[in-house]
Amino acid sequence: MARFRNLIDALADAPGDRPFITAWIDEDERETVTFAEFRRHARAQAKALSDRNLNAGDRVVILMSQSIPAMATFAGAMMLGAVPAFLAPPNFKVEASKYRAGLAGVTANLKAKVVVIDDEFPEDMMEHVYLSEEAQVIRAIDGKSVSADVELPELEIRPENLAFIQHSAGTTGLQKGVALTHAAVLTQVEHLAHALKIDGTKDSVYSWLPLYHDMGLIACFILPMICHLRVVIQSPLDWVMHPETMLQIMTEYKCTLAWLPNFAFQFVPRRTPPNRWQQHDLSSARALINCSEPVRSSSILEFENAFSTIGLKSGALHSSYAMAENVFAVTQSDINSKSGPPRIWVDGQRFRSMHSVAPVAESTPGAVSFTSSGRLLPNTEIRIVSDSGAPLAHGLVGEILVKSDCLFTGYYNRPDITGKAMVEGWYQTGDLGFTLAEELYVIGRKKDLLIVGGENLYPQDIEEIVANHPAIHDGRAVAMGIYNPNLGTEDIVVVAEVERMELLADTVEIETEIRNLVVLGIGVSVRTIFLKPPKWIVKSTAGKAARSITREKLFREHPELNDEAGETKHE
Amino acid sequence: MTAEEQQMIEHIVRLIRKTGISIDENTPLVSSGLIDSMALVDLLLKLEDLTNRRIPAGKVQPKDMNTVALMFATALRVGKVRK
Repeated sequence: MARFRNLIDALADAPGDRPFITAWIDEDERETVTFAEFRRHARAQAKALSDRNLNAGDRVVILMSQSIPAMATFAGAMMLGAVPAFLAPPNFKVEASKYRAGLAGVTANLKAKVVVIDDEFPEDMMEHVYLSEEAQVIRAIDGKSVSADVELPELEIRPENLAFIQHSAGTTGLQKGVALTHAAVLTQVEHLAHALKIDGTKDSVYSWLPLYHDMGLIACFILPMICHLRVVIQSPLDWVMHPETMLQIMTEYKCTLAWLPNFAFQFVPRRTPPNRWQQHDLSSARALINCSEPVRSSSILEFENAFSTIGLKSGALHSSYAMAENVFAVTQSDINSKSGPPRIWVDGQRFRSMHSVAPVAESTPGAVSFTSSGRLLPNTEIRIVSDSGAPLAHGLVGEILVKSDCLFTGYYNRPDITGKAMVEGWYQTGDLGFTLAEELYVIGRKKDLLIVGGENLYPQDIEEIVANHPAIHDGRAVAMGIYNPNLGTEDIVVVAEVERMELLADTVEIETEIRNLVVLGIGVSVRTIFLKPPKWIVKSTAGKAARSITREKLFREHPELNDEAGETKHE
Repeated sequence: MTAEEQQMIEHIVRLIRKTGISIDENTPLVSSGLIDSMALVDLLLKLEDLTNRRIPAGKVQPKDMNTVALMFATALRVGKVRK
């Protein structure tokens, strides 16, 4: 932590015989490395990278699936003073050329010297990772075959040096690399470990979160590495297809901590047959933290009600507000609370019309409920501001600005967007929220961003694909996220204008083609497509589709699309 | 097409709730965007019921579930018969 100068010193200090990472494949297959084995593995990866002339300060892109070799490659790059970045490996749905376009944009901005892939990287995608003479593509070596320690040259890694780059959202040129120093990462982990009362000898983390996401990278890899905890990982796809495995793994390894996006708190109980719940035991869990999507009380309650019968303790469910730009967490709910994060009920009418929060009794008709994302971490400040940037009082809704001692240094190689995101040392999050009794409540977003299953997506990426369909008028497509209470996350909904009225006679084919194009382009599924006649979409003065007004119009025409910011009491 | 495959198709049609779309055993589901990854678990649970096999985590990928025909082939390949 702060007593370390860099992340590699923190790794070097870990007890060698303590288990560090267990990669859980299935009931019959798993692999565990101790801290000593992981260090040896990372040094071997470092040597392989060094042999490719990777030096301090050079950027490395890692396109590997969730695995110990991927994590060892990341640590190995840092051992050389190089700056690694995890990016999503290809999934079979995305067309190779589209994947390449996204990758090329990010890699060019990073001016990456090496791209590392693993044996699982599909052969037919190989030609699409070739980017330039400067960026070599290599396969990670099999670190398990390395039995002896590899000597690396002595190197001073200073706290102010860049440690790694996290990518926050988007698929193409919109993707921004958040540059983080060793000092910022160590400071964040120190604050978080303090707030969660982490004990390396007792705690262990369960994770299915991808390493290219801040929750997966910081909470479930870097924090365990610095605090010397065990982490049990599994692939996100294996989890989403078998959500019960979370219960299975937590039972087997007695994990105490996990971070999960909101939807997982509904997904696991709903998709695990109730007659199998009793085979599992969640009594080891002391903090399951709802993070990366707005926290919904109904999702937390569903998980709690389902699994209190298998040992889940009251008060084990928590919340946090986090972002890559602050390394990770800004707030964390009180770990000592026996009832979890506070939940409040406010006057719904006043909330909607005046954007102001007036607490009322739960039984009040029309009351809206919000769940706190917790209290500020040490040396962290927030400000709630109006559209004009003026600070707002407690209980008023506005944009959340953040300042802390672990804020990012900027978007890598992008002073233009860094300048827009910062104002006088404050990071403008683009999220909306309010504070009450020292708790932060995050209610939605000011900026256009969809959060689906915890993953951030830019609507522009989807709109561009939709508008390229020949039946759709150029530039007349709007993508939005609409909360689906059955899933506990947002659905992607698209509204688009057809070129000519008669095209509305048969929309099934156009919808099918659009759905196909979006999957091929960015690998996500659109839940609902509304095709509308020409001139239906509301334009801004600049002639572009105005998202928020178009959204309101869609809601007026389709009142079945319920989009309450909070959760309304049924009257 | 087997009776089980037909039952799976009916299950999928109920799941996606989209009118006017016809599905057969070779219709791409995941790669066409008709089914998202969060719905795959519903298909796996149904597949386990229809085949009376337990399909272990880690042995099946979304591409193995892309069509009804592939799903049943996957169940035969990796599924363990329930006692």
